[in-house]
Amino acid sequence: MAISKEAYKVMESIVGSEYISEDPAICEGYRCGPGGYECGLGYERVMTKIPGAVILPRTTEEVQKIVKVCNRYKVPYVPYSTGFYGPRSHCHVEDELLIDLKRMNDFEIDEKHLYVVLGPGVIYSPLQEEAMKRGAYVVIGGGGAQASVIANLIGDGWSPLSHRIGLPHRRILGTELVLPDGELVKMGSLAVGEDPFWGDGLGPDLRGLLRGYTGLRGCLGIVTKMAVKLLPFQPERLIPTGISPNTSLALPEKRVKWINFQMSSKEAQVKAMLEIGKAEIGGAVTKVPLFWRAIAKAESKEEFWQIWGKENESTVKNFHIVRVLLIGFTSEEQMEYDENVLNDIMKELGGIPRPTKPSDESWIKNADSAGMWLMCGSYVSVDYVIETLSQATIHGESYAELKKKYTPPLMPDYGDPGWFQSFELGHQGYSEFLIYWDQDEDTTGVDHFYVETAKMNIRERFYTSLLGPHQPLYLTGPKYGPNYHEWLLKIKDEFDPQWICHPPVPLAHDVFVERAEWMKPIKDWKLPKRKFELRTSR
Amino acid sequence: MPKRQVSLEVTQLDNFLYDMSRCIKCKGCYWVEHTYMPGIKFPTRCPSNTWNAFDSYGAFGKMRIGTAIAEGRLKWTPKLLEIIYADPLCGACDVGCKRNLDLEIELTLEALRMRAVKDGAGPMPAHKKVAQNIAANHNQFGAPHENRKRWIASDIKVAQKAELLYFVGCSGSYTNPEIAQATAKTLNASNTPFMIMPDEWCCGNTLYSVGMIDEARELAQRNVEAVRQSGATTLLTSCAEGYRMWKVDYPKMLNIATSDLGFKIIHLVEFADEMVKKGALRLTQKVDLRVTYHDSCSISRLCDPWTPWEGERGWMGTVSPPLKRRRGAGGLYGQARNILSSIPGVKLVEMPRMKENAYCCGAGRGAKEAFPELASFSAKHRLKEVREVGAEALVSACPWCKNNFAKAVKENGDNVRVLDISELILGSLGV
Repeated sequence: MAISKEAYKVMESIVGSEYISEDPAICEGYRCGPGGYECGLGYERVMTKIPGAVILPRTTEEVQKIVKVCNRYKVPYVPYSTGFYGPRSHCHVEDELLIDLKRMNDFEIDEKHLYVVLGPGVIYSPLQEEAMKRGAYVVIGGGGAQASVIANLIGDGWSPLSHRIGLPHRRILGTELVLPDGELVKMGSLAVGEDPFWGDGLGPDLRGLLRGYTGLRGCLGIVTKMAVKLLPFQPERLIPTGISPNTSLALPEKRVKWINFQMSSKEAQVKAMLEIGKAEIGGAVTKVPLFWRAIAKAESKEEFWQIWGKENESTVKNFHIVRVLLIGFTSEEQMEYDENVLNDIMKELGGIPRPTKPSDESWIKNADSAGMWLMCGSYVSVDYVIETLSQATIHGESYAELKKKYTPPLMPDYGDPGWFQSFELGHQGYSEFLIYWDQDEDTTGVDHFYVETAKMNIRERFYTSLLGPHQPLYLTGPKYGPNYHEWLLKIKDEFDPQWICHPPVPLAHDVFVERAEWMKPIKDWKLPKRKFELRTSR
Repeated sequence: MPKRQVSLEVTQLDNFLYDMSRCIKCKGCYWVEHTYMPGIKFPTRCPSNTWNAFDSYGAFGKMRIGTAIAEGRLKWTPKLLEIIYADPLCGACDVGCKRNLDLEIELTLEALRMRAVKDGAGPMPAHKKVAQNIAANHNQFGAPHENRKRWIASDIKVAQKAELLYFVGCSGSYTNPEIAQATAKTLNASNTPFMIMPDEWCCGNTLYSVGMIDEARELAQRNVEAVRQSGATTLLTSCAEGYRMWKVDYPKMLNIATSDLGFKIIHLVEFADEMVKKGALRLTQKVDLRVTYHDSCSISRLCDPWTPWEGERGWMGTVSPPLKRRRGAGGLYGQARNILSSIPGVKLVEMPRMKENAYCCGAGRGAKEAFPELASFSAKHRLKEVREVGAEALVSACPWCKNNFAKAVKENGDNVRVLDISELILGSLGV
């Protein structure tokens, strides 16, 4: 059913005619499209629609009113901050309202207490610049410097800098959340006053609600304001240099420095990460896929394939780099001390230092996630896991093994086990597995691989970040509880009884499998048809 | 996947289907490049999408719209034409995308306008008026053709024959004679003989930019032939838009490389920079002024030389033969800054967004004619940066920028002088 004229008029009266449109050319601009994160796959083709209308609120009050109108007139809606997160952040049903939050870009920094209050329209790089002007810093999420800070923090919110800064829940302070029915929830110290300086409030911690079915892809409301903790950095400026596309930050070497070490084995690599964490040194400790190095070296897609074509299973298997970012947070002497400790660790473990440029191309201010699409045109991080360091590496290897069966259409990567790194000073290990393909090829294999990874994770007992929300819930849910899926659905029913907010999440992947004929051969789990149809037909 | 024949020919939107379909909405086209991100105040570099916040006004929205047009899913409407034409085609999106993805965004936007004209929907009425002016009077403004050389003051020496030909352009000839005069006097001061075209016509910038390729190509053929016949080895412009036309869009329309034109294209800032370095121009007069420099798009990120390319796209989207992408790295970023820094008394301060990240004034490529409100918005937005750095004067190297900023300053009541770099050079020469 189209958005009724009456509902549209009411919404127009909330934001003004300038900030709402149902013009086909405006709505077409909000198409997910075949380009982007997880795009060019069956899920994008089957599950995404262009919006019936687009609205751009400016304030929390406007968002509340819009959501209430949606409930009154039964208009499904999806919140949208930058649209980068592929099909899962776009409309899934016909005549859905897309609530574009980019105008909600308020930004207020409390220099004395090191936190910033911002809206969902604020992205990472301006935040990092403002923080660094004041001797502070934050994580630039792996999603990229162009990601909405709020959307990224409630979904993932980590990067190599999480070695020291830690996971996002430690940095999310007072927060405003508009629930799917329009009610406003204030969290942390905002619950008892106007100052959002503190993350914990009275009663139970509601921050778990924010992630929903992984945050920005979720359906448990709209975060309209958040206070984010900043952490002390070091005082020297990092100077931008070069002309695009060859730009970087020149590092003040006595205060900030990347050093790469070649290790002799994976065991030595993991041990080095653990020891660095134990010694409580470093701002980042990471091992990235070898093909990222080829992306960084290549001037073009064609050159990438020339460089990458020289690699093989053996070079990939023996690529045991540990990349360490040292930061002299308090002084040059502290930096010198950290470097000495690092060198002692590496000496003991046989790490050989490799020449490293005195610059930063990615992670401190610019996370170059867009470069991931250079090679093949299509990309998704199919899963990630937060585990112990030693377990995290096993996760990537399992994926690499499964991937062989689906290559092609997946990119030949010679068994690369993905990206892994230290979180929270080595107390946790992070592994992320990335896949690449050309969307002009038959992508059935990629769609199958995606779901097969869920089965692999269940089989090998990995509890991964996307296993619940990015996979068929009736495949993964019964294996987790056995009623994990029932609880998730009850939560959805409770907070969003009309299933107005981004339907049919959290059953979207189930719906996709039901609709896509080519998924039938791998569907070997049960679906309670009546219950399923009842929920997804609303 | 079978290989597909593709080229950079902008008259065929289909050539850019790959580029449109691979846009990932990273919005690198919209934000200032993150390494250079100046902070929360001036984070964007796309005038269209800053002016109108709906995604359709950003290049990422236009790539989706372009695909829909190519696939026949979207009909031309006034709103769609506004989305396509309320855009100065400033190239910020193109360099932004080529930081990571190497998609041909600028060419796609040009191809969309070609398609609008081909379908009978474009250009906008204001553009048609410009086209009529050019057809009738060989200039964009509809001024009498016989007045074209009125800018030549009695103290300017123009040679009958010289190696260097100064292409004055419509603005220099009619609306901004001060720029043409300052340029000519600078050439005279360096003892560089120059000639002008005996019968100069419009460069056709607006025609090409709004998609009127047939009319623009006719002018390109006529003008290039005239310069070849003149025997000039170098053509100099003082207009950024004209510079881009001669260096990039003429070769593009004629399907030749810039190097095959048969003569070299330079802008005044290249000439003056070289002459100052050689000592042939002596900037000795003190100019007490705190200035900031605005990088005009067409002599910065849009001016990498053109080379025709056609070939095949195959596995993983790779192309053969190799394609050297135009990423804006060859822009004239240093020359004007060198000149300004050489002028005694001038204190050059940079705005937060500069060089390839500069925020366009919003006037160029048909935008001001059809959407004056966009041009006004963009100029006023840029003036906030001028105020931010406390500059007394805003200097650019294009009459389009100068006029648009000057109008905005007047409307704002700002206490900022708007100057073309030629005027500052002349002031320091003391001629």
